[in-house]
Amino acid sequence: MAKGGTATDLALSGLTKVFGTATVVDRVTLRIAAGEMVALLGPSGCGKTTTLRMIAGLVEPTKGEVLIGGYRITRVPSHRRNIGMLFQNYALFPHMSVAANVAFGLQMRGMAKALIQPKVASALALVQLGDYAERLPSALSGGQQQRVALARAIVIEPSLLLLDEPLGALDRNLRESMQVEIRQIQQRLGITAVMVTHDQEEALTMADRVVIMRDGRLEQVGTPAEIYSRPTSRFVASFIGASNFLRGSVAGRNGDQLQVQLASGGQVLVPSADGGRSEILISVRPEAVGLRRIGETPSASESGTPATVQQIVYRGQTTHVHMRLDDGEPFVAFLPNRQGEQAKTFSAGEKVWASWSSQSNWPVADS
Amino acid sequence: MAGRLSGGGGAAVYTMAAATLVFVAAPLAVVVALSFSEGALATFPPVGFTTAWYEAVIANEEFQNAFMVSVLLALAATATSFALGVPAAYALDRWPVPGARMIEAALLSPFILPILITGLALLQFLAAMKMRDAAVNLFIGHVLVTLPYLVRTVTASLKQVDRSLEEAATTLGAAPWQVFWRVTVPQIVPGIAAGCLFAFMVSFDDFPISFWLGDAETMPLPIFLHSSMSKVFDPSITAMSSLMILTGILAVIGLEKLVGLRRAMSV
Repeated sequence: MAKGGTATDLALSGLTKVFGTATVVDRVTLRIAAGEMVALLGPSGCGKTTTLRMIAGLVEPTKGEVLIGGYRITRVPSHRRNIGMLFQNYALFPHMSVAANVAFGLQMRGMAKALIQPKVASALALVQLGDYAERLPSALSGGQQQRVALARAIVIEPSLLLLDEPLGALDRNLRESMQVEIRQIQQRLGITAVMVTHDQEEALTMADRVVIMRDGRLEQVGTPAEIYSRPTSRFVASFIGASNFLRGSVAGRNGDQLQVQLASGGQVLVPSADGGRSEILISVRPEAVGLRRIGETPSASESGTPATVQQIVYRGQTTHVHMRLDDGEPFVAFLPNRQGEQAKTFSAGEKVWASWSSQSNWPVADS
Repeated sequence: MAGRLSGGGGAAVYTMAAATLVFVAAPLAVVVALSFSEGALATFPPVGFTTAWYEAVIANEEFQNAFMVSVLLALAATATSFALGVPAAYALDRWPVPGARMIEAALLSPFILPILITGLALLQFLAAMKMRDAAVNLFIGHVLVTLPYLVRTVTASLKQVDRSLEEAATTLGAAPWQVFWRVTVPQIVPGIAAGCLFAFMVSFDDFPISFWLGDAETMPLPIFLHSSMSKVFDPSITAMSSLMILTGILAVIGLEKLVGLRRAMSV
């Protein structure tokens, strides 16, 4: 299969869907570059699936436009949009062989049988299922079925690949290898792709950019690293990975940093362009936090706050130390377990000094 | 197979099942047994063994006529119910038809209304319309009572079709009619087949509609059977009955060969 030289970009403009009185998708505007893979991520009911279905043409938008390659396709029926779509339940035609499933889209395009056969064969070879052409879908495992669905979706050389929770029904190990496989094929063919998932790891692993949706709106759009290390809101910070939140009041300014007095005790520096606020919420990732016994002197570049150990959970790669701050808020540290190295041991009830690099302080909106 | 039922509850279930089987199958067995009796009257137990009654029945032109009327009527009613019922069920299930529930209830109403009364009402209506052709009237009446079976089974199978299959076909470029023929229909074939079998048997076996709408020339088999019985109750009646049972069995075997009975009855 040749690399598609005709990758197309996708644009959503003010896309809105109202069901009855509920606005499920609310003025979503987004540009997706040609060949890019974007993941729509959010809790159930956030409107991500409805957004995908509007792109597919399976749901009609109440307002707004969908543009593929600059062409407005909002009123184009689904079967003329040239899209490939993967469904969570694979949606293979149970009465057709694997080869017939893959050939279906080409037949619908009126392609001659002699041309269809080699295309089906190479699509099945691409997903490593060349030997399964004559089987019925029911004779395949879940992972194999989804690979057939992938072959069926890409053999038509779609302008757009849409993935609706494609790996949700697979077990964890298989899911991870399928994530890599789908991503490789998508990149190799240079297909523009939009994926819906509620699995943050999947979004971070597979997508060039992640779109966090909440209550039908875009909450934050960015690369996986931006979303993870620079969350804009408490919602994003706690939805992607785990996060500690510290309340503080601005005590002063130091260049482009704010001096913040923590409610739990201790002073920290926070990068901020916005100096107008007096109250601030800071996100600190648990893996950034180290623990010292009270009395050990912290270094000057570190931020920190006193805490009381509540529970210690050994997790293999890391040990999670759950604490409570002096203002009553929870705080957690993920300490790495390095093989052969004696880990610091703490016990429940012990007073400790939780500290982290000042670069790990990140202000977020309290919403 | 799941585990066997055991204990007092299990015994009760097995007894009930056995009793049901006896009450369904035993009378039929009696009828078939009597059809081979050498006695002059159809009385149990049968005497001796003869196929003379069958020879007489099959040679009887009135029986031949009635049998043909019933078979043709059942085939015509089934085909028409198929042609009307499948699109009706599809439209009711998939399209935003105004008053869909009312229409469905109306189509299914012969299930609920007493058929004898439906037949009588139809007779009066057709008479008022000055329609006197018994064949046409029977055809209309039989479609009326067989259509609900198609609507019911096809609607039930449409509800079980995985909609994402249709959506997948759509995204792959299939127009709505292609989605219907290539994807939806193969999923509902068992339901259609079961509906057609029910329709055929209901029509072939129908008494209450034919009772009002038939006449001396166009007399379906059940009516012929009834009128013969009131003349003389000899084993030829049981031979005719056995041939009707055989027709039913052949229809079931035909369905089994066509789509597999287990699949068809799973709707």
